[in-house]
Amino acid sequence: MKGFRKYWAIFQITMINSLAYPGELIGRSLMIVPFMWIFYELWSVTFRSVGTNEINGMTLYSTLWYLMMAETIELSRPALARTISDNVKDGSIAYILNKPYSFLLYHFSNSMGETVFRALVNALFGSVVVWWFVGPPPGPKGWLFAFIAVIGAWILNFCITCLIGLSAFLVEDVAPFLWIYQKFIFILGGFLIPLNFYPEWLQKIALALPFSAMIYGPSKLFVQPSLELLGTVLFMQAVWIIATGTVLILSFRRGMTYLTVNGG
Amino acid sequence: MREIKFLFAIWKTNLLSIMEFRVPFLTQVIGMILNDFIYFAIWIIFFKTFNEVRGWGIDDMYITYGVLASAFGLVALLFGNAFNLSEIINQGRLDYYLSLPRPVLLHAVASRTIASGMGDLSYGFLSFAISGQFSWDGLLRFTLATILAAVVFASFLILINSLAFWMGMISNLTGLALNAMITFGIYPITLFDNYAKLILFTLIPAALIGAVPAEFIRDFSWQSLAELLAGAIIFLLIAVSVFRLGLKRYESGSAIQVEV
Repeated sequence: MKGFRKYWAIFQITMINSLAYPGELIGRSLMIVPFMWIFYELWSVTFRSVGTNEINGMTLYSTLWYLMMAETIELSRPALARTISDNVKDGSIAYILNKPYSFLLYHFSNSMGETVFRALVNALFGSVVVWWFVGPPPGPKGWLFAFIAVIGAWILNFCITCLIGLSAFLVEDVAPFLWIYQKFIFILGGFLIPLNFYPEWLQKIALALPFSAMIYGPSKLFVQPSLELLGTVLFMQAVWIIATGTVLILSFRRGMTYLTVNGG
Repeated sequence: MREIKFLFAIWKTNLLSIMEFRVPFLTQVIGMILNDFIYFAIWIIFFKTFNEVRGWGIDDMYITYGVLASAFGLVALLFGNAFNLSEIINQGRLDYYLSLPRPVLLHAVASRTIASGMGDLSYGFLSFAISGQFSWDGLLRFTLATILAAVVFASFLILINSLAFWMGMISNLTGLALNAMITFGIYPITLFDNYAKLILFTLIPAALIGAVPAEFIRDFSWQSLAELLAGAIIFLLIAVSVFRLGLKRYESGSAIQVEV
C-alpha cells in the first residue's frame, strides 16, 4: 500500500502540473478540431458517393464518433519514448535510478498524469465539433465501456513506447522506430479508417495485433458498446500487456547491465 | 550571386555534418521512407474500398502525396530551421545571425539540415515513379512543382514562426499550423466546398503544396503553373516582409548562445 502511495503521489503531481499551463493544454488540444472537420468532409462525401447510410455496420454518425474517440486516444499519448531515450542518452537516467522508486513505475505514473487532462480536453473539443456535425454522442454505456478499454490502451501503449525508448541502449536514434510505431497505429489500429472498412483478410490480421486493441477496440466500444466486445478487447489487451510487459522488464534489466554513467 | 554561393557553402557544411554519423543518418532516411510508405498504405486501403472521392482516385493520391512529401523533405533538408524559427527568436538566438554580414533570415533558416528530410524527398520521387503516370517531361514538372511547393511551404513556416516577434511563445500555434498544412495538403481537394478552398489557398495554403502542384504534374497547364508561381512569390514576399517587420521588435537578453 505504501508502495502504491508514492506512485499515486507522482501521478497527482504530474496531473496538477499539466494544469499549470492551461493555454498550453488548450492550444495542444485544438489540433483535434481541424482533424474532425476534415474527417467529416471525407466521410460525408464517401457515404454520399456510395449512396447508402450504412457501410459494414457503420453509419456516418458512428464513424465520426468512433474517429473522435480514436483521435482523443492518439493525441493524448505523452512523448514517453523520447523522454526515456533522452534519459538514456544524456545519462539523466541515473537521477531516477538512485531514487527509492522503480524507474518503470515512475515513468508509468508520470505519463498517466500527463495523459488524463490532455485526453479530457481533447475529448471535449472533439465532441463539440462532432456534435455540431452529426448530433449528440452515444449514451453513458458507450462512455463507460470506452473508458475501461482506454485505460488498457494506455497501459499497452506505455509498454510499447517504453520499449522503444529503452532501445536507445542499443541504437543512437529511436525516432524511426517511433514513426513506424505511429504509422502501425494509424493503419493496423484503425486510427484514420475504422477497421470495418478494411478487406476481411486485413481485418483479421489487424485484430490479432496490439494496435487494434489500443485504438479500434475502445473506439468501437464507444459507438457500439456490448459486453461481448468489451470482453474481447480486454482479453486482447491483457494478452499483449503481459507479452510486451515481460519483454519490457527483461529489456530494462538487460539495459541496466549496459549502463555506464560518468560523473555529472 | 554572393548569397547563392553562401547558401551552397552552408548546405555543404550541413550535409557533411550530418553525414559524419552515417548509421543514424541512414537509419533516419530509410526510416522516413518506410514511414511515408506505411502512411500512404491508408489511402491504398481507402481507395480499394471506395474507388474514388468526387473524381479523385488513388493515382491522384500518389502524385499529391509524393509532391507534398518531396516539398516537405526539401524544406527540412535545406531550410531546417524554418520549422523552429520561433524558438530561435524567443531564445534570443538571432543575436548570432545579426552579428554576421549575411542576410539574417536566409542564414538562420538555412543553418540546419534535418536528415530525415532526405527520406521524404526520395519517397516523393519514388511515389511519382510508381504512380503509373511517370514520363520524362512529367519528371521535370514534378521537380519544378516540388521546388515551388517547397517555397510556399517554407514561406508559410517563416510567416507563422515570425509571429513570435509579437506573440512570444507560440509552439502550439506553429504545431497546429504545420499539422493543418500537411493534413489538408494530403486530402483530396474535391472534398472541400468553395469557402474551404478559399482558406486552402490563402490562410492555410495547403492546396498550393498538394492539389495544385499535383494538377500541374498530371497535366501541364499555364493556369496551374501561374497559380503555383504566384503563390510561391506572394507567400515568399509576405513571409520576408513580416520577418523584417518583426525583426525591428526583436530584443534579447545577455544569455550566451552557441550555434553549432
